[in-house]
Amino acid sequence: MIVLKRSWRKYSIDNLEQVMKVKIKSWTGVATWRWVANDDSCGICRMPFDGCCSDCRLPGDDCPLVWGQCSHCFHIHCIMKWLQSQQLHQQCPMCRQEWKFKE
Amino acid sequence: MYLFVVEFPTPSVPLRGPCLPQQKRLQKELMSLLKEPPAGVTVDVDTAHTKLTEWVVHMEGAAGTLYEGEKFQLQFKFSPKYPFDSPEVIFVGDNIPVHPHIYSNGHICLSILTEDWSPALSVQAICLSIISMLSSCKEKKRPPDNSYYVKTCSANPKKTKWWYHDDTV
Repeated sequence: MIVLKRSWRKYSIDNLEQVMKVKIKSWTGVATWRWVANDDSCGICRMPFDGCCSDCRLPGDDCPLVWGQCSHCFHIHCIMKWLQSQQLHQQCPMCRQEWKFKE
Repeated sequence: MYLFVVEFPTPSVPLRGPCLPQQKRLQKELMSLLKEPPAGVTVDVDTAHTKLTEWVVHMEGAAGTLYEGEKFQLQFKFSPKYPFDSPEVIFVGDNIPVHPHIYSNGHICLSILTEDWSPALSVQAICLSIISMLSSCKEKKRPPDNSYYVKTCSANPKKTKWWYHDDTV
């Protein structure tokens, strides 16, 4: 137990400079993000929500998700393409209820 | 002294790869249909690989139905607008199922193939619908207007203004 604790302490950040004789001059924080959706992938393009629609190249704010009042969720580009292709009814591709954007 | 520099490599090739957006979805559908096909359904991999927008799907009549033991071929054609536009689906080959909603030229009267299409549907969903349509058939017969329709219709069933009147079969 003591041995383990020692070897752990050797590599802890507090002792890093002391043990390895390095000076950290700068560092860059890295974070991860994901969309909180009720599904993993878009029902229209089938790409993961944490990726982007098949027309975009980078996920994130440029390829956001939108929710309908029926609670189904799609890439905004995918649902817009679908709604624009519909002349008579604007229906949710999943449940066929009239599509209305959730405010 | 150590200096850690972490750099994310910039890809020299575009991330999108060689595919058109529509092809990404078709690739995914093809993979999932190869991995987990519905019972009695097999995709002809060679045709699909040669041309991703034209598939041949082999279908077997389900056990315990009027079509038990029969083998059919379905042809799928995907337009560049797929999945916003439904695929063109017809029976091909020498055995066209004799069914009140299937014309002798292979055209199928099924609403999800035209006005009830949704991009949330898939090749797999269409196959399941057709299997279920065949399985619930009580009497093997052609649609009442078969001979007139076959003589006058367009080669593309999507050009037909279908009148869906019977949900029982």
